[in-house]
Amino acid sequence: MNIDEVRASLLERVTELDNPREVLKDNRLKALYAEIPKLPNEQRGAFGRQINELKEALEVAIVERENAALDQTVEPIDITAPFDSNGTKLTLLPTENGTIHPLSREITNVIDIFTRMGFEAIESRQIDDDFHMFTSLNFPPGHPARDGYDTFRTEEGFIPPAHTSTMQNRILRAGREKLEQGGQIAAISYGRVFRNEDVDATHEHTFHQCEGVFVSATASLSQMLGTLQAFFETYYGQKLKTKTQPGYFPFTEPSLEFAIEKPVSLGGSGKEWLEMLGCGMIHPNVLKAADIDPTKYRGFAWGGGLERLVMLKYGIEDLRHFESGKLQFLREFK
Amino acid sequence: MIVSVNWLKKYVTIDRPIDELAELIGARLVEIEEVIDLGAKYQDVLVAKVIEAGPVPDSDHLNLCKIDDGGVRKDVERDENGLIQVVCGAPNVRVGLLVAWLPPNTVVPETHGTDEPFILGARKLRGFMSNGMIASARELDLWDEHDGILEIDREAKAGDPFAELYELNDYLLDIENKSLTHRPDCFGLIGLAREIAAIQGEKFTSPDWFTVLNPVLTKVAELKQPTITIADPTICARYQGIVLADVDSSARSDILTSSYLARSGMRPISTAVDITNWLMLVTGQPLHAFDYDKLLQVSGSDHPEIVVRSGRDDEKMTLLDGREIELSPEDIVITAGDKIQKPVALAGAMGGIETEIDDSTKNIFLESATFNLYNLRGTQFRHGIFSEAITRFTKGQPAALTAPVLAEAAKMFADKTGAKVASDIAESYPAPAEPVRLTIPLQQVADVLTGTLYREPIIVTMLANLEYVNVTNDDESVSATAPWWRTDIHINEDVIEDVGRVNGYDTIEPTLPSRKFTAVRPSGMAQLYDRIRQVLSAAGANEVLSYSFIHGDLLAKVGQDPENSYRITNAISPDLQYSRQSLVPSLLAKTYMNIKVPYDDFALFEIGKVHQKSYGLDDEGVPIERGKVALVVADRKRIDAAYYQAKAYVEELFARLEITVKFVPLAGSHASNKPFEPKRSAQIKLASDPSICLGVIGEFRHAVRRAMKLPEFVAGFELSTDRILQQIETASPHYEPPIFGGQVERDITVSVAAETVYQNIVDVIQEALGQTDLKFTITPISIYQGDDKAVKNISFRLRFALAGSTLTGDEVATIMSNVSDALTSNANVKIV
Repeated sequence: MNIDEVRASLLERVTELDNPREVLKDNRLKALYAEIPKLPNEQRGAFGRQINELKEALEVAIVERENAALDQTVEPIDITAPFDSNGTKLTLLPTENGTIHPLSREITNVIDIFTRMGFEAIESRQIDDDFHMFTSLNFPPGHPARDGYDTFRTEEGFIPPAHTSTMQNRILRAGREKLEQGGQIAAISYGRVFRNEDVDATHEHTFHQCEGVFVSATASLSQMLGTLQAFFETYYGQKLKTKTQPGYFPFTEPSLEFAIEKPVSLGGSGKEWLEMLGCGMIHPNVLKAADIDPTKYRGFAWGGGLERLVMLKYGIEDLRHFESGKLQFLREFK
Repeated sequence: MIVSVNWLKKYVTIDRPIDELAELIGARLVEIEEVIDLGAKYQDVLVAKVIEAGPVPDSDHLNLCKIDDGGVRKDVERDENGLIQVVCGAPNVRVGLLVAWLPPNTVVPETHGTDEPFILGARKLRGFMSNGMIASARELDLWDEHDGILEIDREAKAGDPFAELYELNDYLLDIENKSLTHRPDCFGLIGLAREIAAIQGEKFTSPDWFTVLNPVLTKVAELKQPTITIADPTICARYQGIVLADVDSSARSDILTSSYLARSGMRPISTAVDITNWLMLVTGQPLHAFDYDKLLQVSGSDHPEIVVRSGRDDEKMTLLDGREIELSPEDIVITAGDKIQKPVALAGAMGGIETEIDDSTKNIFLESATFNLYNLRGTQFRHGIFSEAITRFTKGQPAALTAPVLAEAAKMFADKTGAKVASDIAESYPAPAEPVRLTIPLQQVADVLTGTLYREPIIVTMLANLEYVNVTNDDESVSATAPWWRTDIHINEDVIEDVGRVNGYDTIEPTLPSRKFTAVRPSGMAQLYDRIRQVLSAAGANEVLSYSFIHGDLLAKVGQDPENSYRITNAISPDLQYSRQSLVPSLLAKTYMNIKVPYDDFALFEIGKVHQKSYGLDDEGVPIERGKVALVVADRKRIDAAYYQAKAYVEELFARLEITVKFVPLAGSHASNKPFEPKRSAQIKLASDPSICLGVIGEFRHAVRRAMKLPEFVAGFELSTDRILQQIETASPHYEPPIFGGQVERDITVSVAAETVYQNIVDVIQEALGQTDLKFTITPISIYQGDDKAVKNISFRLRFALAGSTLTGDEVATIMSNVSDALTSNANVKIV
């Protein structure tokens, strides 16, 4: 028996039968199975797989046909009506069920503080290119520091950004004119970032960052420390001690890691430190990449994860909750 | 990277307590992830002398030993001579040996700090009491060797603390080396010691041998002088090597040396290999030893011929670990034979099997070289080689470093293996690096760091402490030449980083930028997002966030074409293959999950970006991104038309946003429309300009519901936040003065054909009332369909009022009759 002929014939039957599922009871299928034991051992596997493929193809065709039949039975409705015939005015779910995602809440909070401090706030892109992810940030092609970012790539070579610094070149370009007229560039960018990592309670391939950029004729590291301290003191509503340690990022020189003492609101006693973000003076090459003259202007920049802020604030134990969509989690945030 | 503090102390004075040291290093050099107290493991371990050793009766391997601990241990059983009985299974135990003894009631170092620390006791073995144990290197957690007990090789007496003998009262610093990516010098102890001296405010002086950049070695034997050719100077800045004759390859390092290597993460192997590892840990320069005689043979010439070149396509070689690899033109290979150029090592990564050192090796060729770090980085990933050596090479070790390390290695080989220098240094060094000299204005240091001037003596001293060369200054600037090992120093900012860091960023007073006072508001989009969240959450819906990249199955389930998604090619997880084309599919997946819990009824919404290839690219050449808000409402128990529930949500949203919309039949096969059932879905258009489509609303196709296991009652919508924002930003605030009193309320019911569109009836009433000056509202009360399925009755409540006057009964009658007339002008409409 030729399996291809059977296949063609059965697929046709699917389109003809009133109940297309009947085709699975066709004797020819049973006959095909019956052939297996008659075959030499080495052919059995391949033949069995062919029959299985045939069954799967039939199943797909059947479901398609069934769905098409169901689609036929769908009753149209009056899409302009406020409710169904013989129905009543519809109510919405009780307000107490409703929640805003805790990350959205805190992003709004962060934007609020920085805009009050005079920083514009821009959402970051979710698919970007190598230039904005690396090259414009003083990572030449092949630079080992690129390895630290575990970037995804699309077929076209686009990059879902691994940090919100992808917005830096754009922010600098957009602000250049203002800068040259004696003003300053002050902006934050916030949004999703992506790293090619396995997911567990403390690692996510999708998370959120907030990045800040400040450029002026007189910007200094001391101003950066002051700005960051002011932000965290406002955010936690108390005076805070801060601490730095040297770091390395190709796009800043010097580069630092910034930590704050654990705030009282988080149960801190002034002795523990929380690492919050990476920061530094913008590397002259990064300014040059945005056509800003590094001999006339200096800047500082920082960037850090937002999930961490929220996890610390609420004591959230598992990073995976954020994108889980589980109501058990979401409804904790009334 | 694990660094021994005791080893550091051989190069720099460290007096402060370990926690202060760690904090200082953390603040001024690099993050320390952990400080490990190595000494804690060895507190109770004592040197003991074996006084008696004889076989245990009926045992083929156990020995009954009496040992002397100098009477130091208190809580232990002793015989009449004060000796302690221990049963030992090691073949090498013998009288007179000095051993490491673990007394009873102490933890075996190998298990120290683990979840199950093993506490030794005094217990009987084959009827003989054994007090504690005599330990092997593995049990002492020194290195992985368990062939026998450790034979102490230093002068000591019974009862001495074992830890002191081998400098094990040590702390190990676990250094986060990512932030040293640009500092190859700090991948060696000398480099780290130099930094520690400087941050302690002390002058560092490198060991003499480290600074001899053109060492001369005296030949004491004669083998054929190798020749070196670098085919392409961009892949290898410098290649040096020397021949050492009569190496004792079977020699093993002493315990102290082995223990320093082991605590730094390198397994002791043989003296020859240990020397190369030792120097790598001290300087950051990896070395590689070839078997000279094998190299000569492969060269096929009268002397070893070395050619450094790029790998070739279709070229293969077998590495030391037995793996055959395919080379790439990005790999760098060391080859033998000027003509045949046969690969004998994968540069920087691993030697080849053909020239491997073994215990019979007599003569070696020792390589000290530096390779292009970008090439090696590729090699590392291509061939999965992540050794300590390649980690250092990929930081870009300076070419100058190869010479002093090679010379020191030759000296150590002579001292420890009896090797003889048997050639001149063979070398190719096409383009020696030029030193970098910089002049840094004091004002620039002040500007970048603090706004206030540093006193120049501080800067001069600091740079001198770090061994910058020829540090000079005038009133306005400091000039210095970067030491040859500082490959990270190119521009003034690099030196300013040193100044800020070594002096301590924590000494910089935070200030706020002084600025012109300007107000900034969150962007229109951020404000809109916020508004949408407020409205929908007040309407009982829950905001979710779901992944921007999704599994291909999800696209298939809702009928979206994967070709229209950006596809990720390198995701570890199959859950992230494609960019999502709309938000609704993600919400449907979350709906299923929550229904299953079970939650009976809920509404989920998400605000986010979507990507479709069909959107094209923007001016920057990156994919256009579109902002969306979507909502899905579901109820496990209801079976009425879910469409209207979703519509109630979207109408609530648009009412709050003050945008008037209308619902028109679904048309077009846009990706975001795909999940929706056309007969029970609508496009949402702007009422004032139906060319503007704001989104789609409806129930979902059978195929989608089935594939995603959704209940009967589920519907949703997806709207363009970009277009909503446009409307909001162009709208002007709207206000009509209120009318106090005089409001009239009248109900009207029409009977129409069942297929009559509700909105058409409303439009007629609206037009009729709109011709007056009345302020009015039209509220649906009921839509009734009785046994006669051909007709339906729609009842409305009309409320109206006129500004400035009270309507009389006649006026109201006229208004209502005008409305009726307008309605009945269509022959199919009857007033009931």
